[in-house]
Amino acid sequence: MRKTIKVAKWEIKRNLKNKSFVISLFITPILFLIFFLLGNFSGNSEVAPKMTKVKVFVNDQLNAFPALEEAVNAYNLPFELVKTGMTEDKAAEQLKNSRNTAFLLLNEKTLTTGSVPVYTTKEISPSFSTQLQLLQEPLKVMQMKHLGLSPQQLAAISKGIVFKQTAIDKPSETGSDEGETHSLKRMIPAGFAGIIFLSIVFTGMMIFQSASQEKKDKIAEIILSSITPRDLMQGKIIGYFILGMIQVAIFLVLMIPTVLWKIDFPIFHYLLVPELILFICLALLGYLLFAAIFVGVGATMTDISNAGNFQGFVIMLPFLSFIFIGPVSSDPSGTWAQIGSYLPFTSPAVLIMRLAILDEWPWIEIIISLAILIISVFIFMRLAGKIFKVGILLYGKNATPKEILKWMRQ
Amino acid sequence: MVLTVNRLGKSFKNKRIIHNISFEVKKGEIMAILGPNGAGKSTTIRNIMGIMLPDEGTITFHQSEQIPRNKIGYLPEERGLYKNVKVMDVLLYLADLKDYPLKKAKERARMYLKKFGLEGKEYAKIEELSKGMSQKVQFIASILHEPELLILDEPFSGLDPVSQELFKEEIRLLAGNGTAILLSSHQMNIVEEMCDRLFMIHRGQKVIYGSLDEVKTKYANFKCVIRGKNDFHQLEQISGVQRVEQKEDVSTLYLEKDINPAIWLKNLPDHLAIQELTIDRISLHEIFIDIATDKNLLQKAGEKDA
Repeated sequence: MRKTIKVAKWEIKRNLKNKSFVISLFITPILFLIFFLLGNFSGNSEVAPKMTKVKVFVNDQLNAFPALEEAVNAYNLPFELVKTGMTEDKAAEQLKNSRNTAFLLLNEKTLTTGSVPVYTTKEISPSFSTQLQLLQEPLKVMQMKHLGLSPQQLAAISKGIVFKQTAIDKPSETGSDEGETHSLKRMIPAGFAGIIFLSIVFTGMMIFQSASQEKKDKIAEIILSSITPRDLMQGKIIGYFILGMIQVAIFLVLMIPTVLWKIDFPIFHYLLVPELILFICLALLGYLLFAAIFVGVGATMTDISNAGNFQGFVIMLPFLSFIFIGPVSSDPSGTWAQIGSYLPFTSPAVLIMRLAILDEWPWIEIIISLAILIISVFIFMRLAGKIFKVGILLYGKNATPKEILKWMRQ
Repeated sequence: MVLTVNRLGKSFKNKRIIHNISFEVKKGEIMAILGPNGAGKSTTIRNIMGIMLPDEGTITFHQSEQIPRNKIGYLPEERGLYKNVKVMDVLLYLADLKDYPLKKAKERARMYLKKFGLEGKEYAKIEELSKGMSQKVQFIASILHEPELLILDEPFSGLDPVSQELFKEEIRLLAGNGTAILLSSHQMNIVEEMCDRLFMIHRGQKVIYGSLDEVKTKYANFKCVIRGKNDFHQLEQISGVQRVEQKEDVSTLYLEKDINPAIWLKNLPDHLAIQELTIDRISLHEIFIDIATDKNLLQKAGEKDA
């Protein structure tokens, strides 16, 4: 173990001293941020780039305006409420020529049908419709009043029914979730795990580089005269894991301030939830699986440019998950999603995706696919160890699938 | 006795690579392991280093079967170093893997770099060095941690004569300071020049084992080369001739051991056609070639002597 750590330290040091590695550490998050910000800017109004407040005209025939204003202030919504007497037709005319503007019509009909006609300009902040939902509450109260309920009845109903869920092992964070915050609660840790997973997998691909480079430079035998192949392999896996975490840290350091600045919701509040543990577990297992594959395959070839079909296919395995993005996001409980969760190569990514979308977690499926994943990690580590031991010393040529199969059987 | 190899054997699948290999390396001696390509030298060495596990036999280090790898220095035949890393970093990493203290490693690295004319290259990257320089760095890496046993697999391959001398001198110096050295090579002149004892291996089996002097007196009989048209069988009839080789007009007569060349020459038959005649001892080089090309000269000589 001591030697494993020495190898891990060396791999970290060697890479951190390498300029191109350090540059790439920053390039990835920066590119990501650039795309994020570009998307954000183009979605927003260029007229008011500072604080993109949506101008909301309210034709208020219910005298609900003060209540709405109160709600806007309470939730700190980026709305600029303006009272207006415009009719729908007139408003439509006006909206044609403006940007980031909306028109609400509140009248008797609203209270009886329970629906509010909203007209918006073509371009509007993408979060507008979700933010608008927060105005439901004051309107609901008005609706109740209109139906002639007593103040007590009113209070009871307007509270709604809430399932107060309390997790036993941790002090509860209360369950006053609405649908929206609920999904955020899932999305944020899932996104975080996704970042970890991606960073580690990409850094993990460097394991592959490192193993095949060692073979190419013919240093493996010198190293193996001091330590066992097992130490060398484990050292690489741990070393690149830490490099991956450094990548994650840099990602977060750059990402969080930007996100906090662009979107104002309390990320940390949603990030540090118990679900995060499962997400991180999935990301780590995924890393171990791919690390084993990469280190094993890396030891069989000296040069990626003349890799055979077999090796090429194996290297592409992590990208198999991308095939599942479409089907899983459209139907997170469907057949494709289930297949994806049971295939060890795709299950980390597919499960993270599904769990982020699904409100109710399919625990049985989660447990089965975790079991499959853990067993696969175990098997692949063993196989990789066998391949690595022989392959790393086979200088000057790439191993054929037949040879690899032979080593595995030994 | 630093290293003892006893009845070592190793097979891959059904093919026996080495068989019944036994030898020793003593403190302060240079022991050469010789043999043609594919004879099993590197396999033997890899077994000693624990890179491969032997199927049969034992390897002991100071009478212990636990081989302390940090006390062994190893320069493999197929060798290289990380390309985009600085010289000093590689040296210190390799010393660290041998559990050698960092500070001492740094001092010794500087000392050796200077000795090998690489002063000021500490912070150059390996890829910036010439092939010879990088060979020197590899050599330094193998001796930096003051090994008790140094195993050098073809250390001179690819070196220019100046560097060869430098290496030779350093190897002798290390042996003089008590390091046991196991050296594999097929450059016979160097072996003859340097080693105290030798072990010759062919097809994975022992052919010769002994001190250089022993080997020379035992195997290096006289041979007589005659140019002229002579009958093969007549030559064979000459007393003291062990074996005859004939190629057109040139006949090589391998003589028995303990022949007195002067008397033997006097007793040559009168009818012999002689255009040219030379007589000298078989060199280590020829012994090697004979073995490598399966002429069995030594087997015969050996059998008779045994």
